[in-house]
Amino acid sequence: METELIAPAATTILTGAPSTQDAYLSVAGIAKSYGSQTVIEALDFHVRRGELVSLLGPSGCGKTTLLRLIAGLVAADSGSITLGGRELAHVPAHQRNVSVVFQSYALFPHLDVQDNVAFGLRARGRPATGIPAAVAEALALVRMSDYALRPVGLLSGGQQQRVAVARALVVNPDLLLLDEPFSALDRKLRETMQIELKALLRSRGMTAIFVTHDQDEALAVSDRIAVMNAGCIEHFADPATLYARPATAFALEFVGLSTRLAGVVRHCQASVASIETACGTVSANADFRPGSAVVVGVRPERIRVVPSGQPVPPGWNAVRAPLTDVVPLGARTHLYGRAGKGNAAGASVGEGQGDGEGDRLLCERANTEGGMLGEAGSAVREGEVLGWQWPVADTLVYPAWTA
Amino acid sequence: MRTPRTVDGFVLLAAPALVYLAALYALPLVLLLLKSFNAKGSFPSIAGYTEFFADPFHLKILWRTVRVALLTTLLALLLAYPTAFVLARARGFVQSLILLALVLPLAVGVIVKTFAWSILFRSDGLLNKTLLAIGLIDEPVRLLYTETALVISAANVFLPFMVLPIYAVVRQLDARLPEAAATLGAGPLFCFFRVIAPLTLPGVIAGSAFVFSMAVSMYVIPSLIVGERSQTLSMLIARSYLFLRDEQLGSSISSILLLIAVSVVLGSSWLLRRLSGGKT
Repeated sequence: METELIAPAATTILTGAPSTQDAYLSVAGIAKSYGSQTVIEALDFHVRRGELVSLLGPSGCGKTTLLRLIAGLVAADSGSITLGGRELAHVPAHQRNVSVVFQSYALFPHLDVQDNVAFGLRARGRPATGIPAAVAEALALVRMSDYALRPVGLLSGGQQQRVAVARALVVNPDLLLLDEPFSALDRKLRETMQIELKALLRSRGMTAIFVTHDQDEALAVSDRIAVMNAGCIEHFADPATLYARPATAFALEFVGLSTRLAGVVRHCQASVASIETACGTVSANADFRPGSAVVVGVRPERIRVVPSGQPVPPGWNAVRAPLTDVVPLGARTHLYGRAGKGNAAGASVGEGQGDGEGDRLLCERANTEGGMLGEAGSAVREGEVLGWQWPVADTLVYPAWTA
Repeated sequence: MRTPRTVDGFVLLAAPALVYLAALYALPLVLLLLKSFNAKGSFPSIAGYTEFFADPFHLKILWRTVRVALLTTLLALLLAYPTAFVLARARGFVQSLILLALVLPLAVGVIVKTFAWSILFRSDGLLNKTLLAIGLIDEPVRLLYTETALVISAANVFLPFMVLPIYAVVRQLDARLPEAAATLGAGPLFCFFRVIAPLTLPGVIAGSAFVFSMAVSMYVIPSLIVGERSQTLSMLIARSYLFLRDEQLGSSISSILLLIAVSVVLGSSWLLRRLSGGKT
């Protein structure tokens, strides 16, 4: 009855992924190194036609390199890239029909707006008679028709971005790649542009891949998000699944906020693991060998904070910890608790976990009429030891060495 | 908001340079111009100019000077353009090495360089020996004292002045632009003619203006490479002053040469202004 979970290597964990048969873009076994530094190692990645996908990750995770590999701006060391059945690995960038919108937009400074948009059509040798109409249509799509003759140096950031998008779309690419297209815009403009761009791409049934380090952006525009770390895809799923059930501890930490508790599995029966943490024992629906060092995560809105000693409903976890911070955030409030070091029962924690550094308890409450603590309605004092409770089903557990 | 005091200070700082330029540069030029109209005894007279344009020999020299300058500029451009890109792509030690190779010869001086070239061009010189050795020719080709040799050596001497302005522009070139062009479907040729060439044009114009002005007025290189057989305008000027003792003729020819050089510089300035004023 001891079931051993062999922790998976951090390769692609595809949830609801298309089989390679109905994938429109297929990247298989791609690898890229610069000298002795391996940026991407044996990566697999499949996108359906018409899907909007984001590559999300911190700086240096390889997301931009992957984008450039797909665009043909850099050659892979090994692996294949197939687009609509066409093998692209040895096709030069200018023959791939894959358009790119760069972070800095890369508009041609010596050409005005309409010449910029017309550039791709002229480069491909389209008949000159058809070009003005195509350019006008593209500019109308991004609502830049009035700026056709403006020199690009005189445009604002948002306007430049729209011209860059028009220029990329007018050639009717098979795939559109966007490298952090909103990072140069201010916050308010960003959200408007994200919504606009998503609607535009949808209406054309365009398959697109975004590269971003901003999780809000990824969540806003994507059908699926690939969370990348150190050259590997940690989890590739739709935003809801990625948020509720992230496949790895990295994905948990990178997308959204979370409670984090280091712990050791004490026993595991019928796929229910009992885990000892510094502030109490919790249960989770997971299979781990007793003695495994793990990290427990819970999304903040699943936790409720109650007076210490309040009974625990069946099917719920509960721990006790002092309240350390109350952060009001307008419509909601964050309550932080100290998860503590070492272990309340005095047992040692597993190797590789350190001393529970980085552990935190985080509860998010919507500010409803009842005040901050729902039932009791009484105010909380910082330093007060409280009960933190959440449903067992919402407990996420990961091997400690992947965290 | 500057106070009047600050403005006064700046003017004072510039004063020594202005005086220097006026006394040692502007003034002699004005005197030169005056002299060209000053025949011995009578003023004004255009005898210098009429004498120059009347003689077909002089016109031949004028055309030769301009032709050599144009060819030199063209050859320098062809050699300098790829060099500027290599220089811009190079990093660290290699880049320093190339820069050194370009600039150091200037320190050596034009006379030494030109002598080196004349030795190379001799019938028993290195060039002829190499060509004979690889079997391209059967007997030594006469290279020295030809216009070809003059253009080659002049282009080599003036090369840094073409490379550096182009390099300065290439450095500023956004590396993403050729990438954007490629992803939009532009092959290497289209990308070069429609993106890179137009954007490097200011550097090309500046470099060409430099090299042309220097090539049209060069004296040492033609004197040593072609000598008396095919003179250039500058040698004619020297001859008028030193040999013929005809200062009016010499000054007139100098003024004509000055006019050519100035119009090239002004013309390229105007071109540059038009280029940058348009689409930025």
